[in-house]
Amino acid sequence: MPVPREQIFGELSDAVLEMDEERTVSLAEEVVRRRLDAYQAIDLGLVDGMNRAGDLFDREEYFIPELLLCADAMYSGLDVLKPHLKYEKAREKGRIVIGVVEGDTHDIGKNLVKIMLETSGFEVFDLGRDIPPLHFVNQAAGAGAQIIALSTLMTTTMDGMAQVVRYLDEKKIRERHRVIVGGGPISAGFAQRIGADGYAATASEAVKLVKRLLGRIAP
Amino acid sequence: MTKDRLKPLERLAAYNRGDPVDRLPCVPVMGNGAARVIGARVSELRSNGRLLAEAHIAAYRRFGYDGIRVFTDLYVQAEATGAKVRVPLDETAYLDRPAISDVAAIDTLSPPDPRRDGHLPQQLEAMERVLEAVGGEVPVSGAVTAPFTNATFLIGTENFIRLTKKNPDAVHRLCEISLQTGLEFAKAILAIGVTPSLTEPMSSSTVISPRTFLEFSFPYLKRLIDFIHAGGKPVTLHICGKTHPIWQYMADAGADCLSIDNDANLRDAKVAVGNRVRLMGNVPPSAVMLQGTAGEVREAVRQCVAQVWDNPKGYIVASGCSLPTETPFSNIDAMLEAVREIGYPVNATALGNGE
Repeated sequence: MPVPREQIFGELSDAVLEMDEERTVSLAEEVVRRRLDAYQAIDLGLVDGMNRAGDLFDREEYFIPELLLCADAMYSGLDVLKPHLKYEKAREKGRIVIGVVEGDTHDIGKNLVKIMLETSGFEVFDLGRDIPPLHFVNQAAGAGAQIIALSTLMTTTMDGMAQVVRYLDEKKIRERHRVIVGGGPISAGFAQRIGADGYAATASEAVKLVKRLLGRIAP
Repeated sequence: MTKDRLKPLERLAAYNRGDPVDRLPCVPVMGNGAARVIGARVSELRSNGRLLAEAHIAAYRRFGYDGIRVFTDLYVQAEATGAKVRVPLDETAYLDRPAISDVAAIDTLSPPDPRRDGHLPQQLEAMERVLEAVGGEVPVSGAVTAPFTNATFLIGTENFIRLTKKNPDAVHRLCEISLQTGLEFAKAILAIGVTPSLTEPMSSSTVISPRTFLEFSFPYLKRLIDFIHAGGKPVTLHICGKTHPIWQYMADAGADCLSIDNDANLRDAKVAVGNRVRLMGNVPPSAVMLQGTAGEVREAVRQCVAQVWDNPKGYIVASGCSLPTETPFSNIDAMLEAVREIGYPVNATALGNGE
């Protein structure tokens, strides 16, 4: 008996929310087998599950372990669905270069922001961790990224963020990229002081921030 | 130093008796900023017990605060168990590679000998030297990374965090090794006559749920605290970030003093557990102590004191977490100055409307 589309997408969402990797994979395989739309399955299924997990995280019902396992389930479903995706749909929203600034290897926060941005349809270039300021600038220019997202957990590496902004100024390409910052010691005041375009305290706020900033950039 | 009438131990003894004192105890939690006081590189302290002691003694003499804690980074125990640590020339060390990468290798781990392995001997030497130099006038403690947090460094944080859901048994085995490591280190610290001080950042409710804390962190924390109590010393427990959901458990684990970060509210802590534990905190270490002006430091101190000076079990004015290495000396001075102005019992005028 065929299951209506909405139901299987809802089940995918539940499987991600419940951190059930196996069930997410088998549902994703069923989507492929039945030739349902992969983008919808990602958007209404996997992303929806991650968004609900993010809501529970904001309400302090889910914590980082839960979010990581939801992400594992989401990524395993994505592996199944990606080959069946029409990529234009995921690309139209914007490009972001993201990384942890030089001197710091704490990347859980960066990974969470990356996951939330990807699941919201953004194209994310993850440079990794311990990244020199100039590398962010060069990669953003090369990729044509509208947004440069910088993360650090350590106070010692905060100046690397300011350095990124200074390089953009020096190269006279400041207006091409919006710089956003986040992480343990970072504050809105700090973002303002170094001339960044925005600060987000959580991964879901980062998504809202990016959407707001992209609204202000001509395509 | 000359600005205060009482030495820190005299002040604390009088404060504990409920007598009037010159000012509230104040501990800007000095970290690797101690290196700046003697013009040393941060990396030198870690591998040189004599220099580490010299830095903390000089920093104490320079600022006149009420507690010395010998600390370089969170990784000294994990390193002595086999993890690799990266040591930048002039910044705080950080974890480069965990001791193992696979659950199958847990059996290869054994608790290190603090008198021999890694850089634990240097930590112990520093504690011994600090105690000898100034232990007669100021409390001296030695930082111990508590079991749950140290266990995450043994197999890698992300890996470990997944295992809390996927393989609870492996997590318990890692925590048990980590506890044994903590017990051995605490034993060596107690043998010197110094007080072990516990740091447990990964147990923060910013990271794990209260349920995960109760299952994997609390039992080991309690055993370590019981051991330190049996050695005749009180325990200060620091957990970074949000902690309000676990304050009761932190007190249940036996902590005598909770060090509260700036993501948590001191007044709420007072209401929740103030009749069970002393509180310390929570001047923001980064936004105020590192980046703020002296005026902002004073205002933050006034706010903290206004919230919690009347905590039933007492209050120590402190930074919410270890001070960043480059915290300006002038801001540390401003913290002590503000506490002096307020005095004790608190001078309501000096406090202004810190509320």
